[in-house]
Amino acid sequence: MPQTITDIYLPRQARVKQVVVENSQISTFVLVFSDSQYNEAFRYQPGQFMMVSLPHCGEAPISISSPPTRPGTIHLSVRRAGKLTNAMHGLRVGDSIGLRGPYGRPFPMKQLRERDLLFVAGGIGLAPLRAVINGCLDQRDQFGTITVLYGSRNPSDIAFQDDLALWQKQGVDCRLTVDTAETGWDGAVGLVTSLMDELKPELSRSTALICGPPLMFRAVLGRLTTMGFRDEQVLTTMERHMKCGVGICRHCHMDGKLACVDGPVFSLAELRQLKILELAE
Amino acid sequence: MPHTATTTSSHLLKKDHLKGFLRKLAKEYRLVAPVRNRHSDVLFTVIDDLDAVEIELCEPPQNSLKQFFLPQQEQISTYTITLEGYDFRPTQTHIPPTVYFGVHPCDLSGVLYMDVVFSRQQRDPFYLRRRQGSVLIGVNCNSPAPNCFCNATGSGPFLEMGSDLQLTDLGDRFLVEAGRTSGHALIERWQGFFSPSADKDRAAHYQTFLEARGRFSRQVHVEQAIRRLEAGTVPDEVFAELSLRCQDCGGCAYLCPTCTCFTISDQQLDATSGQRLRSWDACTFAGFTGMAGGHNPVQAKTGAIRQRFIHKLRDDVRLNGRPSCVGCGRCVSICFGGTDIVRFVERACQGSL
Amino acid sequence: MAGLATTFGSGAMTNSINEIENAEVILVSGSNTTEAHPQVARRMLAAVDRGARLIVIDPRRTRLAEYSHLHLALRPGTDIPLLNAMMRVLLDEGLADDLFIEMRTENFLALRDMLNRLDLTETAELTGVPLPLINQAAQLYGRARKAVICYCLGVTQHVCGTENVQTIANLAMLAGHIEKEDTGVDPLRGQNNVQGACDMGALPNMLPSYQAVANQDYREKFERTWGTRLPEAPGRTLVEMTHGGAQGSIRGMYIMGENPMLSDPTLKKVEETIRGLDFLAVSDIFLTETAQLAQVVFPAACFAEKSGTFTNSERRVQMVRQAVAPPGECRADSEIIMALSGRLGYAMKYDSSAEVMEEIALLSPIYGGMHHDRLDQSWGLQWPCWDRGHAGTPFLHKYYFTRGRGHFMPSNHTEPGELPDREYPLLLMTGRIYHHYHTGTMTRKSERLNRECDHAVLQINPEDAKALGLRQGETVRLLSRRGEITLAASITDQVATGMVYTAFHFREAPINLLTNDAFDVGSGCPEYKVCAVRVAKMMSS
Repeated sequence: MPQTITDIYLPRQARVKQVVVENSQISTFVLVFSDSQYNEAFRYQPGQFMMVSLPHCGEAPISISSPPTRPGTIHLSVRRAGKLTNAMHGLRVGDSIGLRGPYGRPFPMKQLRERDLLFVAGGIGLAPLRAVINGCLDQRDQFGTITVLYGSRNPSDIAFQDDLALWQKQGVDCRLTVDTAETGWDGAVGLVTSLMDELKPELSRSTALICGPPLMFRAVLGRLTTMGFRDEQVLTTMERHMKCGVGICRHCHMDGKLACVDGPVFSLAELRQLKILELAE
Repeated sequence: MPHTATTTSSHLLKKDHLKGFLRKLAKEYRLVAPVRNRHSDVLFTVIDDLDAVEIELCEPPQNSLKQFFLPQQEQISTYTITLEGYDFRPTQTHIPPTVYFGVHPCDLSGVLYMDVVFSRQQRDPFYLRRRQGSVLIGVNCNSPAPNCFCNATGSGPFLEMGSDLQLTDLGDRFLVEAGRTSGHALIERWQGFFSPSADKDRAAHYQTFLEARGRFSRQVHVEQAIRRLEAGTVPDEVFAELSLRCQDCGGCAYLCPTCTCFTISDQQLDATSGQRLRSWDACTFAGFTGMAGGHNPVQAKTGAIRQRFIHKLRDDVRLNGRPSCVGCGRCVSICFGGTDIVRFVERACQGSL
Repeated sequence: MAGLATTFGSGAMTNSINEIENAEVILVSGSNTTEAHPQVARRMLAAVDRGARLIVIDPRRTRLAEYSHLHLALRPGTDIPLLNAMMRVLLDEGLADDLFIEMRTENFLALRDMLNRLDLTETAELTGVPLPLINQAAQLYGRARKAVICYCLGVTQHVCGTENVQTIANLAMLAGHIEKEDTGVDPLRGQNNVQGACDMGALPNMLPSYQAVANQDYREKFERTWGTRLPEAPGRTLVEMTHGGAQGSIRGMYIMGENPMLSDPTLKKVEETIRGLDFLAVSDIFLTETAQLAQVVFPAACFAEKSGTFTNSERRVQMVRQAVAPPGECRADSEIIMALSGRLGYAMKYDSSAEVMEEIALLSPIYGGMHHDRLDQSWGLQWPCWDRGHAGTPFLHKYYFTRGRGHFMPSNHTEPGELPDREYPLLLMTGRIYHHYHTGTMTRKSERLNRECDHAVLQINPEDAKALGLRQGETVRLLSRRGEITLAASITDQVATGMVYTAFHFREAPINLLTNDAFDVGSGCPEYKVCAVRVAKMMSS
């Protein structure tokens, strides 16, 4: 007896409401589904991602950078990396795009309540964490202290400057560092791990959330461990090539786990069980 | 295969009447069966004219049933770019109800595995539409081919369930077991073709099974490899050695009845339209995991080929309680680097005596 | 081709591909077999599984070299001294097959005298391969009962390509490793039908079946069947034609299935020549870089859209059967030629490719027994196949060489046409990668193959990269006296210091803008394997 099965692969049309240029490589696209009813009802969690379609470019997974507390729009912060993301950077307000999702296991927001949160990010890695940070700030009383450490290549490359300024105003301890200084930069220079030296977290009530390029990721993990963070207290989100987004096509395999359904958010304790390049000696 | 397989629902179908039975089925279903073509290759083929083909039930077909449920390439949607915007239109697949006849136990196991893959996390509309309304008529393997090792993967040479009807060649007749209500219905519907089986038929069936089990020419210690993978005692050198030899052709994955990894890509048709395609892919290709910008989180030297074997022999065992290798031996015959699953099992088990 | 023709009398694999599997020693020279001939490589790996010893002569540490028992990483262009040194070892160690030399060869004394004059230490130094390694390789090869030598373009694409091949032939004859099953000398051919093209006379000096144009009897045979006069003088080689059009005497060209605008050396000259023609016609399955310059383009049918035969490396003639109809206006090559010939005033009327095959059997002795009905019922037949009753020939030179006696052709070291110097300090070698074929006319159109590799990379040794301050993957400029391209650096110890390597498949980085048009006089084959280049960082923006 043939039954109707939802087409899980069919994107829905969304339109670009606003484009925020974060730096020469990163922009944030504010998107709204064309079907207003669907848009109204659409919900997601921080850490989840959307499969994004652009004409003749196929699909790519992009993590949502807006918080669940502000429904009505979806923010996707995108760095130029390949064919699809380059095409995205050509989008203007009013242009349409295909979206399906949200997919993936989100950050465990309930577990983060009452805890001091240490965010460590490099480059585009701040995008998924931005969703958590803004979510926490929207329910400020439910969380402990919030610290953001952010590394960039050079001062003119610092993305999410509006957010960083706003967070600072809202009492978030934001610290920046750059790999290479330019004239006029009087902030820190060096790896983001150098910012961690000054921190005195209350370990028993702290959780670290990290996201960034592989080299930074390893360095930060090492530093957190020496600081006394247990593996369970460290959360991260993994980047993988994906095609289906729903656990069938297996492009995002991670030693038996699939980043799209078992992640992309993992605790370090979970990752340690896996043989993956990011944690290889 | 317990000796007490005195299932009350077993029947007999005389070989003389097989064609007549298939002719009846072909009136209501599309018929797919292993056919020997003029180059003497055996392939599962859609049969339009029963009298024009030679159905081959003994020699294993070169293809599995995978292509009928997950085509090598299929359209999953079309899109247009107009003033109204960028819009997708779903692709409707209309597959006629199909009887797959003469399916060997390995390929049957392959379909059952795909059923799980395409409905575990999410229900895959394209697979399920093709699978719905399909009837599987299996035939047990009396004489396994030289590369066969389904005895080691628990998927042959005889199967007791999974198909709608299961046939065993007893010389001049088939013993027919109805595994499902749908199978009973088929027998009911065309009951003139079937007669009840007697004790001696069931004894012959069991004798045939015993003989088939003794006819495997390979000893493949799949279970031992599974245990070693789970215990993490397969040395990295095994994967490195196999990687060095793998010629990166993807043939193993394409022929494998249970390799279901796919990719999705867009094909531009003109400036304002295109189609989205899903096609077979292989985890042994570097591009399978390579990300935009060139970074690849899987180590080319060892990671890709490791994935192939741990998925089939460790991860799927964890998930389903059995490996997803069905022992059909197709990768053994196609692999020209000598990195097939049998080679892996041998290497993984080496030094364990 | 020319090298084996002068020594053995026939320029093709002496063995069948599957015989390689039974060899005890396999010597591979100038062949990246796993990438360029994977189906041959499988036999090598299988032989190693059975206990065979594998010797690889290659300047680069290829995957096969990694798998080998002995890797002789010679300095590019020093094949002759390396093989001469191996032969000298055979002589010194008493491993030469005296009986074989006596019974089956000629001109041995010339070789022996030349070898005896060699200073082994000096020769080894020239090649960059340690003498003990040469010694070991020679002993392995010399002592084996069954030994094959497989070689490819790394041997032939040098100014001394013909001499390189002759030296390989010398080695095989000296050791008596020829004229037997599982033992011989095997040039691995590139394209699926390049052997067939040579067999059918797509050579400047040969009619089909290697019947020399210069021979009046052969010419007359063809003239009688074709009812027309044939030119008495040999034609021109490829490089002569595409580099200056033989100094302007060629005013028009018809190019079939070839893309010299990407594949030939010193592309600037090729472009000048082709643009300078009065008329160019091209037939190909896609609009190649060359076809874009043509006045007339004939859309051709691809392999799956026509019927006929292909002849592979092991001289096996196999049927190809049409699977789908050609799209649009595309036609099979034979139909294009027949139509063209008719318009030019010579009517060719063949109703089928089977009829063409009948004529081939009539005129080409080595194809004498090849007919479609026979080929259709088998996996093909290997030439020579003299008549309908002949079963084909798995290995050549049984009992006697094609030319009678094997002829030793001693050679000395010849320097490449251009070597690194202060201005261009690196040696560039060019080759192929697994995922692409030739100029990418077909493979660059595959989304999947492009996913595996969609850009040219320049292999460079870590030391050289460090001296230049290069990062992995960095885009660099590569320059020679003839041109410049940009491509991504791949830092790897697969190449030794002082040399770089890249493939010629990518129109975005046409490496043949840089290569030298020095060529082998014997065969007309350009020296793709050696030229001098330098690597420079991109201008910082």
